[in-house]
Amino acid sequence: MSTSKIIKSFKETLVDNCSIKEDCDSYGNVSAWIKLESKDSMSSVANIVKSFKGRCIVATAYKNSDDSHTIVYHFDIDGTIFNVEMNTNDNMFFSITPTIPSANWAEREIREMYGVEPMGHPDTDRLFLDYSIAKGVLNEYIPLSKLQRGVSETDIMWKKVKKDIDNG
Amino acid sequence: MGEKIKIGPFHPELEESVYFKLVADEEGIVKEVEIVNGFIHRGMESLVTNKNFMQNLILTERVCSLCSNNHPFTFVLAVEKISNIKVPLRAEALRVIADEVKRVASNLFNLSMLSHLTHSHELMKDTLEAREYMQDLKESIWGNRMDMSVNLFTGVKYDLDDKKIDFILNKLSIVEPKIKELQSRYENDETIRERCIGVGILPKDKALELGVTGPVAKGSGINRDVRVKAPYSLYAIRPELQPYIKHRDGCDVLSRAMARFDDVIEAIRIIKDVVSDMPEGKTYLEKRPHIPKGESVVRTEAPRGELIYYLKTDGTQKPVRMRWKVPTYTNWEALKVMILGDKVENVTMILNSIDPCISCTER
Repeated sequence: MSTSKIIKSFKETLVDNCSIKEDCDSYGNVSAWIKLESKDSMSSVANIVKSFKGRCIVATAYKNSDDSHTIVYHFDIDGTIFNVEMNTNDNMFFSITPTIPSANWAEREIREMYGVEPMGHPDTDRLFLDYSIAKGVLNEYIPLSKLQRGVSETDIMWKKVKKDIDNG
Repeated sequence: MGEKIKIGPFHPELEESVYFKLVADEEGIVKEVEIVNGFIHRGMESLVTNKNFMQNLILTERVCSLCSNNHPFTFVLAVEKISNIKVPLRAEALRVIADEVKRVASNLFNLSMLSHLTHSHELMKDTLEAREYMQDLKESIWGNRMDMSVNLFTGVKYDLDDKKIDFILNKLSIVEPKIKELQSRYENDETIRERCIGVGILPKDKALELGVTGPVAKGSGINRDVRVKAPYSLYAIRPELQPYIKHRDGCDVLSRAMARFDDVIEAIRIIKDVVSDMPEGKTYLEKRPHIPKGESVVRTEAPRGELIYYLKTDGTQKPVRMRWKVPTYTNWEALKVMILGDKVENVTMILNSIDPCISCTER
């Protein structure tokens, strides 16, 4: 399956709602970077990936200076990586797990690390973090004893660290 | 109402901390499965954004011990891609040797755990004895039995002379026949066959849907080996080094174990090929790299399957975002398919068959 055929399909479906650039590493592996104008186009992307029997390897999220979040899905279609980027400024996006089940954990992790909700995700359980920890933890200081389940019930060490942080 | 059974988070048959909540019927067949994670989560992805690239080279080697070489290897590939660095050919060869040595040791450890779970202690002892040759090799060449500290941003930190190459070939000549014999014993051992054939079934369509990789995918008849599908380093430069992937379609615990043996045998072939035809030249570039603003995605084949690193930089000494996904991250979800409908007594055996690396997965 040629990469250009898949990219053509992305262009035809997404029309002007995205920008696409191709990339090639020094070993000759081609990958594509697709930037979506609107996060609503992600469901169309998921349908294209599914039609080519692709899978979601993982998804990355990060917080921007204006408090919006960028989410980059990394798809594999027959050995080629397609990185699809979108922005969300209302702390939610539409889950693609119902279409591509391999996105399951990646979307759940974004939910608990950044507090960005994958709407329509079939699994509402926490992935790694305990329920006592608020969503969006990756932007905060959290004591290791609380972050890991069952390690400790006390905050003695953390209180000392927090005091230092608060005192600058 | 079935019987509720809890396994973990700490249990003698579990390699690492996992918590299974099962519901089984009167015959011990699992009807419901819930898996609770999060016992080894360390917030490493947050930590790496507070450290510089050199510190992260050390930190990534400590994500996990069994595949400790793969993390820095993939990380340096991501940095080198952003910095547009092409490392010397000899460095590429040395990176592949280290990686394949780790693959042999890691897979043999998992196979020994399989024989431990079937209480075939003689087989377990022999498997660990064979692995010990690779551990000796690591200690002699790299000075450590687990963390080999091989990679630099512009190459590698070690080199091989003729004496060391002879040492490697000598160890491999001892270990190779032992592994071939072990594979035959695992394949034909009555206890192993009884406990592994038809156990923990992951049908090919489910494996495709869940995106599993590595020996778990190979055991269900799917080849997603990055060394073949998107070759990197010396696997791209010398395609004859790419592993030959045997078709295993039993979809059960034994198939996955045999896929691991196939990987081990191919790894030994690759190491022998590379050390016998070492490229001449430098092992690293002397100029320190400038890491500009950029974004890269790089992947390699770890012993358990595909390892991918995403790196975003802004031209400073620290990454803006670093994200990695290990094979267990996707293989884990497949456990629910494997365990449902199987016997409770097989749960730890099925877990072992994906060779779970929880410290990698939870980071």
